[in-house]
Amino acid sequence: MDPLRLLTQATFGPDAASLARVLQVGNAAWIDEQINKPVSLHRAAVANLGAQPENRLAIWWQRALTAADQLRQRVAFALSEIFVISDVADTLAGDVLGVTEYYDILVRGALGSYRDLIEDVTMSPIMGRYLSHLRIAKPDPIANTRPDENYAREIMQLFSIGLWQLDQDSQRTLDAAGRPIPTYRQGDILALARVFTGWNYHGALGWFDYTPNYLPMEPWEAFHDQESKVALGERFPPGQLATPELMHALDVICDHPNVGPFLGRQLIQRLVTSNPTPAYVSRIAAVWANDGTGARGNLGAVVRAILLDPEARTGHLSNPAFGKIREPLLMQSALWRAFGASTPTGVYSFSLPDYVLAQAPLRARTVFNFFRPDYAPPGAIAAAGLAAPESQIIDHSGAIKIVNRWYAVAFEQGPINVDLTLVTGLAANISSLLDYLDMALLMGSMSSALRTILTNHLSQVTSPSLRAMDAIYLVAASPEFFVQR
Amino acid sequence: MTYKAIVCLFLEGGNDSFNMIAPRDPAGHAVYAAARGAMAVPRVDLLPIRPRAGADDRAWGFHPAATRLRDLFEAEKCAVVANVGTLLQPTTKAQYLNNAVPLPAQLFSHSDQSTLWQLPSALDNTPHGWAGRMGDAVLAMNGGSPLSPVISIVGDTRLLRGQSVAPYSMGADGSTGIDGAWGGDGARRLQTLQQIQTTTYPHVFQRHIAAVQQQALGIHTLVQAALAGAHPLNTTFPGDPLGKQLRMVARMIAARQALGVQRQIFFVRQGGYDTHASQLAFHAPLLSQLGNALAAFQGAMAELGAEELVTTCTMSEFGRTLTSNGDGTDHGWGGHQLVLGGAVRGRRFFGTMPDLQLNGPDDAGLGRIVPTTAVDQMAATLARWFGVTGTGLHTMFPRLSLFGREDLGFLRA
Repeated sequence: MDPLRLLTQATFGPDAASLARVLQVGNAAWIDEQINKPVSLHRAAVANLGAQPENRLAIWWQRALTAADQLRQRVAFALSEIFVISDVADTLAGDVLGVTEYYDILVRGALGSYRDLIEDVTMSPIMGRYLSHLRIAKPDPIANTRPDENYAREIMQLFSIGLWQLDQDSQRTLDAAGRPIPTYRQGDILALARVFTGWNYHGALGWFDYTPNYLPMEPWEAFHDQESKVALGERFPPGQLATPELMHALDVICDHPNVGPFLGRQLIQRLVTSNPTPAYVSRIAAVWANDGTGARGNLGAVVRAILLDPEARTGHLSNPAFGKIREPLLMQSALWRAFGASTPTGVYSFSLPDYVLAQAPLRARTVFNFFRPDYAPPGAIAAAGLAAPESQIIDHSGAIKIVNRWYAVAFEQGPINVDLTLVTGLAANISSLLDYLDMALLMGSMSSALRTILTNHLSQVTSPSLRAMDAIYLVAASPEFFVQR
Repeated sequence: MTYKAIVCLFLEGGNDSFNMIAPRDPAGHAVYAAARGAMAVPRVDLLPIRPRAGADDRAWGFHPAATRLRDLFEAEKCAVVANVGTLLQPTTKAQYLNNAVPLPAQLFSHSDQSTLWQLPSALDNTPHGWAGRMGDAVLAMNGGSPLSPVISIVGDTRLLRGQSVAPYSMGADGSTGIDGAWGGDGARRLQTLQQIQTTTYPHVFQRHIAAVQQQALGIHTLVQAALAGAHPLNTTFPGDPLGKQLRMVARMIAARQALGVQRQIFFVRQGGYDTHASQLAFHAPLLSQLGNALAAFQGAMAELGAEELVTTCTMSEFGRTLTSNGDGTDHGWGGHQLVLGGAVRGRRFFGTMPDLQLNGPDDAGLGRIVPTTAVDQMAATLARWFGVTGTGLHTMFPRLSLFGREDLGFLRA
């Protein structure tokens, strides 16, 4: 069931309308159509509802469950797990509109140019507060201070090139002695930290004026370090103003050959499979380097290539370990979309998913996200040399809390309700019921073993509505739903 | 055989431990203050302590927010392991600057140094952390209890993984059972879930999820009953995340007999230490919370009569730069750690206090202090106390003998 697989990879979960559309126009045309859909932003909607943390999440759920630009929303969420900020941090707690505007940067830039996106991310005062490059002053020998290294380090380690030099297939490049080669040294960080000096809030009245807003930061030249610098092998001449020097540095970072394989591989992991073959990463890195029109870092083209790649479409046929463990938030959204979730109040209140699902949008504990791209749990996955990043947040306690959450979805109507009319109507015939749930939740891949277990169980449940709820709960609780293949 | 437990408390982000404990004598403080600039704690604000040993005839003090830590230190329930860090062999500043000895990979990176703190230094590609290896070594002492000897309250971590043992991850709220098991239908639903979990699936990820669910529910019955039957704690813990985590550890220790275990290692975590910005505002409450939670935990151990049986150690991926960016500090290398408990030879410094002079003999640059004690030495000292003996210790820490003192002496035999 390729359209269901595509929708599982590219949206917050298949629903009847999206399935019909993919079947009608085909994979490639559907992706192009999605790329060109009007953009559903978040901040204005949150402001309308009231700038409270729960409303930021309510609008996030509304977009995830109902927005027409599903692909953009889905990629923006993936990017929010790479270009991480978090309102768990004291520096951002309470700044609901600022944090939401940061999310809108990702929504707007999700399918555009990486160079533009990294500039918007860097200039955001929200990122500037989170990674503390807002208001870095040039070195002061008298006060014995030097520029904050935080953003200089993390923009390289996490947002662009990573720690190790990579071949285009994302394997580490080795030196003559067979050792991996660091992409940068402490000296590069010190130099880049000086590039990032002299940025303050838009419209600040003085260097220490506290005028928080979410508009792009502005340069304060008196605080910018104009001495010459060398970072990543590039010489930054003396006497440069803050803006051209920052643009120069971002150009250098974006042109680094690591960016395509480093970020391309992570986008594949977020959308399609935890362990892409080197050849798949190479193909995506090539599109990153050149989208066909000569443009580098065209994220729309990269996402299109990731989704249309033969490995994304048919990898499950040849590779028994193809696919990924689903993120808990994406399991929740897929369940709701599969059963036409709605809310009588119009407000999609599910405000603290952290506790039961171990994640919430823009609420990771640190800039290292909820899980690391190379995480492998102990046991067979680690022994096989595979990564399963999402399993980092599905530990013993988490795995059961998630199952209990599905119990609530199936059996207890809450602020967000599933529509069980159709499923209940099918429930008289267990086989039809399971066929439907197989398509709705498992991309038509339900194993005969699971089907037998469910059939035996459901045959002893007589009430159609209870049978429907039981069936949804048990399918969602099964390891087959937890894994996207 | 007596019960023993180790609690590993990770201070996430890189604790500025050179502000947690700082020189208090005028000359020592002047050197410290010159290096730290705006980040320096004023001399008069430091909480005086009277170390019995290791203080090099200088005066030292705790950060003013660390009153409870100071109290624990003065009560001889806490000691300081000075300037510990990731090392592959003893390393001088000159050797570091000239790249003359092998160095830990990716110094100053959070993710890498967090991992290296959890592994024996010789084995930086191993999936198995030093506490997991200790779990392997003592597994037989637990008499076949189905509960893993290594338990995390905050999710899986490399530290706890061994060859034979894998961490059991419970929440600060305990273990979790199935909601759908209520009522008559519930029992059958639970039975079906168990069938689903014990089916063999074709995909390794599906098998993993099934195994995690199955382990979780299997252990839940044991843990839930043991916790319910354990001596209820009268000690009040803080309601912050660390307080809740340590309270759960204390409850598990209270339930040790019903759990049927003689050796346990717990992992807990306090976040927020990456103080690049607003350090003066953010560091103080962290140390205050740390002290309050640890004081409550020691109180609970006293209440359980288990003070001598339980040792807590802090870990943190790195210390921070002595120099500042005016508002905070950046990633360093060596830093001080605390060890606590009734078996600790408290009110002492172990290892060597570093020279805090900028560009001095211990400064690798901008006040990144070269460690003078290796993580291996601190971990091996804990392992010996835990019951890992001679050759076992050197198998566990193959580079241990390179570092000189294999037992730092902070634990009574």
